[in-house]
Amino acid sequence: MDLFLQTLLNGLLQSGIYALVASGLALSVGVVGIVNFAHGEFLMIGAFLAWAASASLGLDPLLSLPVVALAVFGVGALTYRVSIRHVLLAPELNQMLLTFGLGILLQNLALMLLGGNTRTVSTPYQASSLQLGELTVGGPKAVAFAFAVALLAGLYFVLYRTTLGRQMRAVAQNRRGAQLIGINVDRVYLLAFAASCGLAAVAGVLVSVLLFASPTVGLVFALKAFAIIVMAGLGNLTGVLWASVLLGVSEALVQTYVPGGGGWSDAVFFLMIFGTLVLRSFRGSR
Amino acid sequence: MLRAENLSKRFGGLHAVQNVSFTHYGGEILAVIGPNGAGKTTLLNLLSGVYRPSTGRLWLQQEDITDAPMERRCHAGLGRAFQIVRPFPEMTVHENVTVGALFGQRGMRLPQARERAYDLLERTGLAAHADRAAHELTLLQDKRLEVARALATQPCVLLLDEVMAGLRPAEAQEAVELVRGVRDSGISILFIEHIMPVVRDLADRVVVMDQGQVLAEGTYREVTANPQVVAAYLGTEAGLHA
Amino acid sequence: MSAVSVRPTPARRPTFAWRALLALGIFFVLALAFPFLPLGDRREFLLQIGFFTLVAGIMALSWDLLARSGQVSLAHAAFYGLGAYGYALLLKAGLPWEAAMPLAALGAGFISLLLGAVTMRLSGMYFAIATLAFTEVVRTVIQNLPESVAGGANGLLVPALLGGNSRGQYLLALALLLLTVGVSLAVRLSKLHHAFAAIRQGEETARVLGVSVVRYKLAAFFLSSVLAALAGVLYAGKTFFISPLDTFSLANSISPLTTSIFGGLYTTLGPILGATVLRVAEELLHNTVKNGYLVVYGLVLMLSILWLPRGIVGLWRRGRQGGDL
Repeated sequence: MDLFLQTLLNGLLQSGIYALVASGLALSVGVVGIVNFAHGEFLMIGAFLAWAASASLGLDPLLSLPVVALAVFGVGALTYRVSIRHVLLAPELNQMLLTFGLGILLQNLALMLLGGNTRTVSTPYQASSLQLGELTVGGPKAVAFAFAVALLAGLYFVLYRTTLGRQMRAVAQNRRGAQLIGINVDRVYLLAFAASCGLAAVAGVLVSVLLFASPTVGLVFALKAFAIIVMAGLGNLTGVLWASVLLGVSEALVQTYVPGGGGWSDAVFFLMIFGTLVLRSFRGSR
Repeated sequence: MLRAENLSKRFGGLHAVQNVSFTHYGGEILAVIGPNGAGKTTLLNLLSGVYRPSTGRLWLQQEDITDAPMERRCHAGLGRAFQIVRPFPEMTVHENVTVGALFGQRGMRLPQARERAYDLLERTGLAAHADRAAHELTLLQDKRLEVARALATQPCVLLLDEVMAGLRPAEAQEAVELVRGVRDSGISILFIEHIMPVVRDLADRVVVMDQGQVLAEGTYREVTANPQVVAAYLGTEAGLHA
Repeated sequence: MSAVSVRPTPARRPTFAWRALLALGIFFVLALAFPFLPLGDRREFLLQIGFFTLVAGIMALSWDLLARSGQVSLAHAAFYGLGAYGYALLLKAGLPWEAAMPLAALGAGFISLLLGAVTMRLSGMYFAIATLAFTEVVRTVIQNLPESVAGGANGLLVPALLGGNSRGQYLLALALLLLTVGVSLAVRLSKLHHAFAAIRQGEETARVLGVSVVRYKLAAFFLSSVLAALAGVLYAGKTFFISPLDTFSLANSISPLTTSIFGGLYTTLGPILGATVLRVAEELLHNTVKNGYLVVYGLVLMLSILWLPRGIVGLWRRGRQGGDL
């Protein structure tokens, strides 16, 4: 029973990061209408920046987090200006391939400049743990989860309680209509895309603490984020939360109860993508 | 020919089409009319296989096509032209029609299909545009292409979804001639239309729908004299003779 | 038939088809002559570059075959890897290479039918994500099978193809590229071409016109994956060592895609020209850029999408619609 509860708890903690990555992706899909295949690479940039700040300045990643987020926000805005903006009206295929190319470019640029090694960040709370009755929680995991929850709360506050958030949701629902009532759609797109990249970077900072920074660290998170937004329904921000929890917990269950589960848990997201897509397409056809 | 028995389609709690039965005889031009939201488009989608009916059956010739996928309906002899024209944009006009000729009937070979496509382009007045890109056509030409492509599949029944929409009166007259020509070649036609003069000129028989059900059935004269039909139309902004 | 003479015959189309065929012919003559040239002391190295250019050509053209039916796949690494692993395991089971090669390819082909059946109704990004995920899962499975079965994360040793004879290996690759080109041209001139193009440009309309979408999509999957698996076999036999990380690397899905788009989508000549240009450039850059040479692919992909959507073959058929080879 304790093992089961411990498993559920681990899954829940893991889902915080997932939700963070997936919310960012959902923002770019929902508002801008761009499926950003380079989303994981913005996470990777965040992880590396946190590592660099820690290695050269001795800055704790959680302290450098705001700066990193802002920096990647800027990179995202620039990316929007020079590339995304030019394919907004192009066929979906072109948009997809463009961001895909961007992802490859960024990932391999990192590989070229930094090499393929993983870089770990050491923090004083690395080995610490919390005791909750019979359950144990790793310190970094708990901190990361707390950050993720706080940020998500902030994101939802912005989206549902501020003018900018209302504009974003208006654009997401009806681009033309939003334009007609005087919303500057281009500016909303820019901000949404940049914010989406910023969120990925924040997740990256947390990942650098939990795991490591490496050129390819973003890919698997991006894939899982895709699984989550597909489960939630494209662009559905609230669905992202429960879908993240579902993925995190399912992975934890596989890790605990399937023999040799560590290796297999990475396949869980795939089954979820397939399950959802197949179910939805069959239901939709009747 | 085409026979519907108690067709119904529910979307959640909404009865879009309810217990619709009709028979469409060979060689006949049958119009389905009704105010907006009467269920005409849903009915057409049930006939062409976009949706499966919640209950009821559908027969084409002797074949039960209630659950047949779209491609099998096509092979069984059901053709459809869309309201919003959908040419294959990267193909030429001729290639567009060739696709219909090639796959509409089993066992067609490519040279044969190409020949058929040219014949149809001549019949529909598009021969001069055979090698133009499909996306360069005018709206009327697009509609002709849509019809030519559907005819290429060698249907015995052709479903037309508001083909006159967006055409100017002179163009609509040309389109009416085209549809008559199609019928004269032995193909029966079922069409949905808003423009009443077109219905009057074309239809042998009219089925009037309202709120998902068949309200009346008969010749144009009969249904327009039916007080129920007039009431249904007056209830909407359109009016019968708009 | 009636009135044949009245029909306007498109004058420019055959001209282009002939030019494309001519270009293909020249490519194959040069490629055939290449291993017999006096290549000097860098012979082995040059033959290796040639070999992998041919493999890249097979990959790109087979990817394009699938893309023609509207299925833009990120699963090509999976078929490549399945070919490589299938070949290695069949050899391990004692089969001669002549049998192992086609069997591995057919095996990958059948697995592709399973994937195709599941992804059938997906389009655009859903399809891309599903195929990307598929690749990751195939890799995970192979990596996590017991080491005695498929070597686990450490990989497998594979006996060298044709006893390591470089010229023989090169000619075998050339023969398989010729096969791929043959398949591509046969598709182009048959019913399949019209079915693929119709599905790509309007799936529902295609179904209304009687195209059996399921059958043609699966046919595209099968042809494409069998050819990609053959490329994987060539790779395994050339490098005589395969590992999950290398064979199922995302790079093996990216390069055929980029190559086709850069060369010219939905053509036979484009992917081959693209492979030649990109692969040779890659070898030239390999000495300067050790890690992350895929930067070039990312950049080429982005620039092609933004400025060269019809690829390099599009440069000399500007404004033409359809009818190209």
